[in-house]
Amino acid sequence: MQTLEMNVNGSDVRLEIHPDETLAEVLRDRLGLIGTKIACGEGECGACTVLIDGVAVTSCITPAMKAHGRRVTTIEGLSRDTELHVIQQAFVDSTASQCGYCTPGFIMATKALLDANPNPTREDIMHGISGNLCRCTGYYQIVDAVALAAKRLAEEGRK
Amino acid sequence: MSDAIGTPQARLDIAAKVKGTRKYPQDFNMEGQLWAAVVWAAHPHAIVRRIDTSAAEAVPGVVRIITSKDVPVNSYGIGIPDQPVLVGEGEKVRWVGDRIAIVVAQDLRTAHRARDLVRVDYEPLPVLTDVFTAMKDGAPLVHENRPNNILHHIPIRKGNVEEGFAQADVIVEGEVATPFVEHAYMQPEAGIGYIDEEGRVTVIAAAQWPHDDLHQIARMLNLPEDQVREIVPAVGGAFGGREDMYIQHLLALCAFVMRRPIKMVWDREESITHTGKRHPFYFAYKVGAKRDGTLTAVKIRLISDAGAYASTSIPVLNNAASFAAGPYKYPHAHVDAYTVFTNNAVTMAMRGFGATQPPVMYERMMDQLAEALQMDPVEFRLKNLLGDGDITITGNAMWGGVGIKETLRQAAIAAGWRQQGDRWIKPDLGQPSAPHKKRGIGIACAYKNVGYSFGFDDKSEAEVILRLRDDGSIASATVKTAAVDVGQGVTTALAQIAAEALGVPVSRVRVALIDTADTPNAGSSSASRHTYITGNAVYGACKAALEKRERILLEETGEMTVSAKYLYRGRSRRPTTAYDPVTGQCNPHISYSYGTEIALVEVDLETGETEVLKMWAAHDAGKVVNPAMYFGQVAGGVHMGVGYGLTEEFIMENGVPRTRRFSEYFIPTVLDMPRELVSLAVEVEDPTGPFGAKGLGETPTLPTAAAIANAIHDATGVWLKRIPATSEMVWRALHGKG
Repeated sequence: MQTLEMNVNGSDVRLEIHPDETLAEVLRDRLGLIGTKIACGEGECGACTVLIDGVAVTSCITPAMKAHGRRVTTIEGLSRDTELHVIQQAFVDSTASQCGYCTPGFIMATKALLDANPNPTREDIMHGISGNLCRCTGYYQIVDAVALAAKRLAEEGRK
Repeated sequence: MSDAIGTPQARLDIAAKVKGTRKYPQDFNMEGQLWAAVVWAAHPHAIVRRIDTSAAEAVPGVVRIITSKDVPVNSYGIGIPDQPVLVGEGEKVRWVGDRIAIVVAQDLRTAHRARDLVRVDYEPLPVLTDVFTAMKDGAPLVHENRPNNILHHIPIRKGNVEEGFAQADVIVEGEVATPFVEHAYMQPEAGIGYIDEEGRVTVIAAAQWPHDDLHQIARMLNLPEDQVREIVPAVGGAFGGREDMYIQHLLALCAFVMRRPIKMVWDREESITHTGKRHPFYFAYKVGAKRDGTLTAVKIRLISDAGAYASTSIPVLNNAASFAAGPYKYPHAHVDAYTVFTNNAVTMAMRGFGATQPPVMYERMMDQLAEALQMDPVEFRLKNLLGDGDITITGNAMWGGVGIKETLRQAAIAAGWRQQGDRWIKPDLGQPSAPHKKRGIGIACAYKNVGYSFGFDDKSEAEVILRLRDDGSIASATVKTAAVDVGQGVTTALAQIAAEALGVPVSRVRVALIDTADTPNAGSSSASRHTYITGNAVYGACKAALEKRERILLEETGEMTVSAKYLYRGRSRRPTTAYDPVTGQCNPHISYSYGTEIALVEVDLETGETEVLKMWAAHDAGKVVNPAMYFGQVAGGVHMGVGYGLTEEFIMENGVPRTRRFSEYFIPTVLDMPRELVSLAVEVEDPTGPFGAKGLGETPTLPTAAAIANAIHDATGVWLKRIPATSEMVWRALHGKG
């Protein structure tokens, strides 16, 4: 067992874990943060995307100890109480979710993308989310959602 | 009217999905739960001689190993229960998805470690890997209780096909093969089995038809159906792949044996390698037409690989045969359709249910004929497409608003075709992005049934509960139906139908969570049927509830709650019939949806790579209930069609899967999709549908691969022998090495 100390969505946590536990397992099974989804378990689809110090990682293949002493943001850390984050609201307004299993991963990938590039072109957006698979939507409404979120965030910034 | 229909209402489930709070089967945990893992068959065809569980049982943390001896009735299967739940000693495994045992342990890692220690001795048998070998006299039998491996044959005989070919000025022939396709829903199989507070064997899992699962589980456990229960939470995609049971009955068996909660979660490799696939088909066609472009005759031989067990291979074949000639008028037709057992993966329902494979062949025939007659492909198709009242190859008159011609007209015009009288003129395709690339444009039309076909009693029941205010107005409405939202948005569509029928805003309608103990049987989320069939049930329940409310208000009974149930049967207004066993003539389908897609592609002549630059998709699903969800279904269907046409193939070698993960099975990423998708809604209403709606779930997938294949031909002049049109396949065809 090893001691893992990290900050998850603003709260410090301290856990005794097996060294081979993945970050996704710790988030889901030990902290109950079920919004992080495991779809491939091999880092190939992006459903488990979370941020470590603001950088998007596939948590299903990230050893949990990699988050030691760092800041982890999951889908649960985006919205405040009942209020949706701008990105989440854009996904709602663009009907960018069908079965929804890939949705938290897309939203976290979007967060990382827009933090790094607040003014993306459509092509930038496509490259930014190309590591995430969706089997339902055909992606168009997801790209629309990211573009809408970028526009709204820029407007907020101007206020 | 409440303006609930035809407006882009927000999905009822979407806020929870973007927050990550919506619970899928793997997100449930229960006090005191154990974990289970399946011991899979290690051979595609073999007799199990001995099962030794002693080493596995000795692993600390292993609680029990469940084998065939623990199964009260050791068989299951949708329609035909020919699959063993667990294969015992002396019995046969018929594909690698068969199961030997289930290891139950304190945690998942222990269960996984222990399952590798279950020792099974096999006596291998010859493995049947293709339908042609399996059809030969004297081939080894997959099922010894059958005379041969041919599960089913359908003949269709209309007119006299030789006479029809004699009248033809041009005859074309061709062959095409299609691949096994993985559903690849993002949520792998998972769930919990437990005994509920009333002693019922209960399963929480993803499903498409909870009440059929219930029926199969009750039969397996030899229990009355009211002693079994299935709860369906959020489902992470299905596409037909959850119409058969893969995990539900195993969870039920674990709970039944262990009498405590058991959780199971499969990984992606288990999900890809041990579940059913879309049928591969082999097609051989001969089609004739007169000089003026009128079709005279079609002769078709098609064979599908049923894999190791029947599943829905016969209903899929029924559909494939009835749609084999496409949405065209043929005075003479001759079809022989077969589905054949092998030791390959079980094949089953997948988006289109037998209507997805034939367009690749029949739309190629249309282009070959148009080319031979030097006619524009739009013009040629418009001469022959079915209209209202036209007679199909099964002898039935088309009904319900036939929008196929209009979808072709609208798609062609949007893609740049010009119409001059009856003549149609192809657009200029612009310059390719490099000298070693060529552009091409391809068209495909297709149609598909809405609802269960061939005399099957398609029915759905819904209950509506109204809570009234003092003045009798509706404070809120609850809709109860076990119509599973697998992501397609049926919950929202049904809420919109209820809101419109009740004259209230959608925000006042709630749709209950699915629990077979509480929500009535709606049939499965398949056959593009829920908007039409369950929509009619919800509409009927709403109207019945409103009538009850009138009575309550008139009689001043003071009741504040009204509830009504309504069972809708498709046959009440649209009776269908089964194939005549000799001629295949019948009235097969309740209703239909129609679509045309056009693909503009660029083919790299040096690498064989095809890029789809743009697609136009015109679909007639009747009245559109929700334009935003309509676009989502079209785009998602096109996505699956692009994969089908270009990249997706589940590959087995000697019955052993070689495509085991997403890095080996290529579903399109956002970068693989056409940069532009133009969606056109063609709303030819079916008067028997709720507010004129038909169904949309499947049709958008049907024409895509065919349109792409036709576009590749337009660009390069080659016809491929099979799909997907991978770079290698196209390169080989271009270099005569195919």
